[in-house]
Amino acid sequence: MSSSYILRRVGYGLILMLGVVVLNFLLIRLAPGDPAVVIAGEMGGASDEMLASIREEYGLNKPVITQLGIYVGNVLQGDLGKSFFFDQPVSSLIGQRIGATILLVITAQILSILLGVFLGVIAARKPNGVMSGFVSVFATIGYAVPVFWTGIMLIILFASVLPIFPVEGMQSVRLRSAGGLTWALDVAHHLVLPAFTLAIIYLAQYARLSRASMLEVLGSDYIRTARAKGAAEKTVLFKHALRNAALPILTVAGLQFGNLISGALLVETVFNWPGMGRLAFDSILRRDYPTIMGVLFFASAMVVVANILTDISYRWADPRLRGKS
Amino acid sequence: MTALLDINDLRVTFNTRYGQVTALDGVSLHVNAGETLGVVGESGCGKSITALATMGLIPSPPGRIAGGSIRLDGEELVGARPSRLRAMRGADIAMIFQEPMTSLNPVFTVGDQIAEAIMLHQKVSHDQALKDAVALLDRVGIPSPKARVHDYPHQLSGGMRQRVMIAMAVSCRPKVLIADEPTTALDVTVQAQIFDLLNEIQRDFGAAIVLITHDMGAISEMADRVAVMYAGRIIEEARADDVLDFPQHPYARGLIDCIPALGREDHALKEIPGVVPPLHLLGAGCAFAERCEHANERCRREKPLLVNHDHHPAACHAVEEGRI
Repeated sequence: MSSSYILRRVGYGLILMLGVVVLNFLLIRLAPGDPAVVIAGEMGGASDEMLASIREEYGLNKPVITQLGIYVGNVLQGDLGKSFFFDQPVSSLIGQRIGATILLVITAQILSILLGVFLGVIAARKPNGVMSGFVSVFATIGYAVPVFWTGIMLIILFASVLPIFPVEGMQSVRLRSAGGLTWALDVAHHLVLPAFTLAIIYLAQYARLSRASMLEVLGSDYIRTARAKGAAEKTVLFKHALRNAALPILTVAGLQFGNLISGALLVETVFNWPGMGRLAFDSILRRDYPTIMGVLFFASAMVVVANILTDISYRWADPRLRGKS
Repeated sequence: MTALLDINDLRVTFNTRYGQVTALDGVSLHVNAGETLGVVGESGCGKSITALATMGLIPSPPGRIAGGSIRLDGEELVGARPSRLRAMRGADIAMIFQEPMTSLNPVFTVGDQIAEAIMLHQKVSHDQALKDAVALLDRVGIPSPKARVHDYPHQLSGGMRQRVMIAMAVSCRPKVLIADEPTTALDVTVQAQIFDLLNEIQRDFGAAIVLITHDMGAISEMADRVAVMYAGRIIEEARADDVLDFPQHPYARGLIDCIPALGREDHALKEIPGVVPPLHLLGAGCAFAERCEHANERCRREKPLLVNHDHHPAACHAVEEGRI
C-alpha cells in the first residue's frame, strides 16, 4: 500500500474536519435559545445589563460570521474555547473524559466484531443447524432492543440477582488510589457491563452479516478448490472463507463507528461512565455551546480516524483494491 | 491389470424440493495409469458430479453417495474417513476446475496458493514450497515465474490462471488428475495450449487423466478412451477412435453429428432436439427416448443396460435389436 494513498486520505480527513467545525458552529448557533439567558440563569438572575455584559464577555454580540471566523481560527490553534458552565477550557474538560469514552467504544467494537464474526462463522457452517437458528433469533432480538433498556436490565440483573459485576462508574472508591495492575483490573471489571451493553446491537449485526457473507463465500469456486487441495475444514473456514467474507464486515464496522459513539452517550448515562457522552448530554441541556462543539469535534474526529483506518484495512484485506485510487 | 481409478456402480442422490433425485445411477468407469479417459455429455448429465464424488466433494447435504464403490489404487474411497480423504485429495488425486476466473482465492497470491497445496501434503518449509511453486509455474509455461509467484489472481489472464490451477493440481504429483471442462471458459487458441500442456504433464508425471468435456474436438485430441454420459448413466464406452468413427447410441451419434466439419459446405450442422430431462421427471424407460427418433414402446418402458454390441458397449434397445 502506498504511503501517498494514506497521506491523501489523511488530507481529505483534515478537510472534512474543517467542514465539520464550520457546520457544527452554524447548526448550533442557528438553533433557537439564547445562551446568555442560560448563563445568567446559572448565575442567579438576568438583568439586561448582566445579559449585555455576558454577551460582551463571550463574544455573543458579534455577527455570527465573525464569531465563526474567530472560532475556526481558535480551533486551528488548538483552542476549543471556554465552557460557559464550568468556566474551564473545553479541551481540558474533554481531555479528562475522552480516555474513558475511547476505552468503552474500542472495547465494545472489538467485542462485537470478534464475538459477532465468530457466531456468524459457526452459524454459516451449518445454515440449517441449531446454532444458526440461535444466531438469527439472537440477532433479531439484539438488533431490536434499545441500548438503554439492555443497560437497565443488566443493571437490575447484576445489581440484585447476580452481583458479580459493578453496575456504576469506572472505579471502585476504595481502589481509587491503587496503581498498576490492581487499577487496570478494577477498570476492566467496571467495563464489562457498559461495553457489553454497547456491543450487543452491533454484535447481533455482525453475527448476521458474517453469517450471510460466509454463506455466500462458502459457495464459491475457490472454496471448492481449497477443499480439493485437501485443506482441513477449519482452514477452509477461517483462512480461505473468512478473509473474503471479512470485506463487507470491515465496511460496516467502519460505518458503524459513528453510531457506536452516539450509542456510548446513552450507555455512559445509564452506567454513569465518566466519559464524553455524559458531558455532551449535560452540555446540551445547559446550552453550553463551546462544550457541545468541542464534544462534537472530538466525536467527528474519532469517526474520521475510524474511517481512514477502515479504508486502509480494506485495502490490506482485498488486494484487488490496491493500486487503485 | 487393475485400474488405477476404478468406479463401480456409483449412485449419488440429492435431496431437492422435488424430492430425492438420482444424479448418478450406477456409473462404472475405470482409468489406467498414464491413460486419458474422456467423459462427454451435455450439461447436467452427471459428468461433474462423477468428478466431485471421486474427489469426495459432493456437497452434503443435500447430496450423498448412495451406493457403489470408488477405488483409487485399490483403496476404497466411499465411506473412507474424512481425514483419510483429505490426505488423498490434492496428493493422490487432484482436480482442475472449469472456471479459472473464480477458482483461485482472490485474496492470496498464486504462489501462496500453490505453496499451500504443497505444504498440506509434504513436510517442507514455506520458503521451499514457494521455490517449488516457482518451478511449477515455469513448468506450466508462465513467463517470469519468479515475479508472477507474488501476483494475485486478478493480475493474471484466464489462460494464465488455468495454468496456475494446473500447477497447483500437479504440485504433489497425483496419480489421477481430473480435469472438469478445463478449457470451456478460455479462448480457442488458449484451449489448444492448455491441452498441449495437459499432454506434456501426463508424459512427464505419468498421471492418469479424466477429462470431462462436451467438446468432441478435445476428445479426439486428448482421450484414449471415451465414456458418453446421459442423465446420470454411462450409455456408451469404447476407445476414442471407435466412438468418434462408429458411434452406436443415437445420443452419441447425435453428439458426433454436432461437430462442425471444416470445408464441407454441404454438411448441414445437426442438433439433438430437446434437452436433458429434469432428473426428477425420469421415468422407467430410457432417459433419451423422448428425444430419440428410434424410440419404441420398449424404450419407454425398460431401461437399456450397457452391453456389448457389434463394435463396443452401448446402452440402447434399438442398437441391441439391430434397428439402427
